Amino acid sequence: MFRFKTLMFLLLTASIVLSACGGQATPPPAEATEAQPVTEAPATEAPAATEAPAETSQLSGTVTIWMWKAAHDALTNSGVLDEFKKVQPDVTVEIVEYNPADVYQKLPLALQAGTGAPDISLVENSHLAQIVALGGLTDMTEWVTPYLDKMNAYKWADAELDGRYYAMPWDSGPVVFYYRRDVFEAAGLPSDPDAVSEAVATWDDYFNVCQTIMEETGSACFSNNKANNYGRLYEMMLWQQGLGYYNEAGEVTVDSPENIATLEMMKRFWDANLTSDQLEWTDGWYAELAAETDATPIATLIEAAWMGAFLKGWIAPGTEGKWGVALMPAMEAGQVRAANDGGSAFVIPDQSENKEAAWALTEFLFGRVDSQVAMFKASDFLPSLEAAYDDPVFSEPDPFFADQPVRPIYVDVVKVVPIAYVYGPHYPEMNGFVATAIQKVATGEASVADALKEAADAIRAQTGMP
Amino acid sequence: MAKTNIIKRLYFPLTTKIRQKWQEIYKVRWPYLFISPFYILFLIFGIYPILFSFYLSFTEWKGLGPIKFVGLRNFELLFRDKVFWQSMTNGVILFFMYVPIMTFLALVLAVILNSKRVRGFRFFRTLLFIPYIMNIVAAGFTFRLLLNQKYGLVNALLGIFNIPPVPWLESVWGGRISLSLLVIWAWLGYNMVIMLAGLQTIPGELTEAALIDGASSVQAFFYVTVPLMRPVILFSVVLSTMGSFNLFSEIYNLTGGGPINATITPVILIFEQAFGNFRLGYASAMSYLYFLILFVLTLLQFRYFGRQVD
Repeated sequence: MFRFKTLMFLLLTASIVLSACGGQATPPPAEATEAQPVTEAPATEAPAATEAPAETSQLSGTVTIWMWKAAHDALTNSGVLDEFKKVQPDVTVEIVEYNPADVYQKLPLALQAGTGAPDISLVENSHLAQIVALGGLTDMTEWVTPYLDKMNAYKWADAELDGRYYAMPWDSGPVVFYYRRDVFEAAGLPSDPDAVSEAVATWDDYFNVCQTIMEETGSACFSNNKANNYGRLYEMMLWQQGLGYYNEAGEVTVDSPENIATLEMMKRFWDANLTSDQLEWTDGWYAELAAETDATPIATLIEAAWMGAFLKGWIAPGTEGKWGVALMPAMEAGQVRAANDGGSAFVIPDQSENKEAAWALTEFLFGRVDSQVAMFKASDFLPSLEAAYDDPVFSEPDPFFADQPVRPIYVDVVKVVPIAYVYGPHYPEMNGFVATAIQKVATGEASVADALKEAADAIRAQTGMP
Repeated sequence: MAKTNIIKRLYFPLTTKIRQKWQEIYKVRWPYLFISPFYILFLIFGIYPILFSFYLSFTEWKGLGPIKFVGLRNFELLFRDKVFWQSMTNGVILFFMYVPIMTFLALVLAVILNSKRVRGFRFFRTLLFIPYIMNIVAAGFTFRLLLNQKYGLVNALLGIFNIPPVPWLESVWGGRISLSLLVIWAWLGYNMVIMLAGLQTIPGELTEAALIDGASSVQAFFYVTVPLMRPVILFSVVLSTMGSFNLFSEIYNLTGGGPINATITPVILIFEQAFGNFRLGYASAMSYLYFLILFVLTLLQFRYFGRQVD
């Protein structure tokens, strides 16, 4: 018995450690090469085509993409894949839907195993640098060079390693201030976007606005869970000030005076009971965003541009016309009122056997103004491609936001997003330690300074960063 | 000359012994061949990973690229890693939170359902066992919904009796209690079946005799059934000990290790380090240290209880 248990345990240990080497089942990539339809173009023309620029060279095969549902919907609803089919009729695009969390588990395993990865995977910027540092991705430097100065500059930071680029940006996450016009009105506050922007110019102002809302309507100002907080809002606050978890020199700044002051500011809202405890992306959170005016909905939400799509798409479609978009508060008056949250990019695993076609699709989708605009219309994923901002669609009023033209705000914000050091190769680990610190502060288990000091020490020890 | 003699003397018996052994094996080569697939697979998927992860525990490796040898650095880091030690403490706390209750309940329910006089005992046995075969992902999700502080059914029911909303998943002890509830719910049936099997070996005459001698059924349970069930209880408790440190799916789907790392167990942590942070070397070191600690714990358990059982 005893030996058997030991053995079983050894096995368990082993299986945990070894799962890393396990391969993953993916749709067979071979099928497409066999089923390749014969095009009208005679075979003799093929060699000549390879000399021509990328747009006209005829590629073939299947391109498998891993992405999440919202992104898949953006591709499907915008019709960009049909457009691509006209340019590259022989390329079949196959999309496999995974949640972001699943991608971050499956993709690294496939890269480590050297097999099982798709031809393209969508990765959020938060996890991009870590996966780039892991390796196993195609060096896309030659391909993306023409786009380096055409995309939002800060998007390239996570795609780059030692001067080489491993990803092509899709969308950016400029953070704005979503608010419920009906709640503001009920609280006797101005509900016009410009007036709201002015009323919440700094976090101190925001605090006063929140107090008024709580007193007048009973609505919590924003959701900021205590015991399971994972630091997303805190990161946006850091980003807005050009701070982060480390600095340009690679030194951990988690316990810097600025970071401590930022968390102290968040603590004020908890202490004054102005926040709701519903955790982001859970049913309770959705319920409070979708609530009717008299059911104490959440009054404001500081989140990126892509949140607009989620609000109107499936979280709160019934609240059309009740929302407005203003600028997020700054820590100190005069600072830029912009931050970034999320945003995503395509990577092409090195094991892909159809890199040319994968890049052709990537370039067609993200490097081309028409595609980016079409996808933006369908999804609110703000293109990282700056040329797209000139399109008339960006000045259209949005009925969900009471006919406010919100897109110019997204564009204004994305242009001034400061360089910050939140994401990076150690992001998941740093985020984990800081999240625990925030939870300790929120639940009153530790002071801000102590909690952040402990997190900083742990990060320094574990990552070896100074 | 003398030297070769010594070698011969030492070497010769050894070779004959080996040869004899091989001859014996050769005689039963067919049975060995037939059972070999398991051993070959075990060698590849069992022994090799164990040895490889031992090697990895002295290295830094992302699973890709060069393996960097770092000596004992991982272990040195590990002794200073507060989260790791908290995960060990969590294992102990969780053990004391649910194992006594679950074991006791399993035994009592087994005794009740062992009696053929209980109407519909088969139905109740099945009912209690069903959670064990339920998918833990679905169960965890359902528990999350039930235990939501503001919108959950449990707090809504408590509200009827004017009990203020309990922060089930929103506080350190709430998280641990919620997890214990899920674990008891999921594993009670399994432990009950072990107890039921044990009860089959106790002759009914013993309890009967006790009852005739004037013992109440509660006394008969504590003074006759429990002592006789000791080995079975030990078995169940040892399994649960390992279980509480190894809890994974229950935690992954209910609390995610939170709040404030209150429900993180070593296995969750190893998983996070290996597959969240790509630190396979550190995760291996963690596995080995954790294995060592659990090994000693189990050894003590057997030393202490094992003596009393006989």
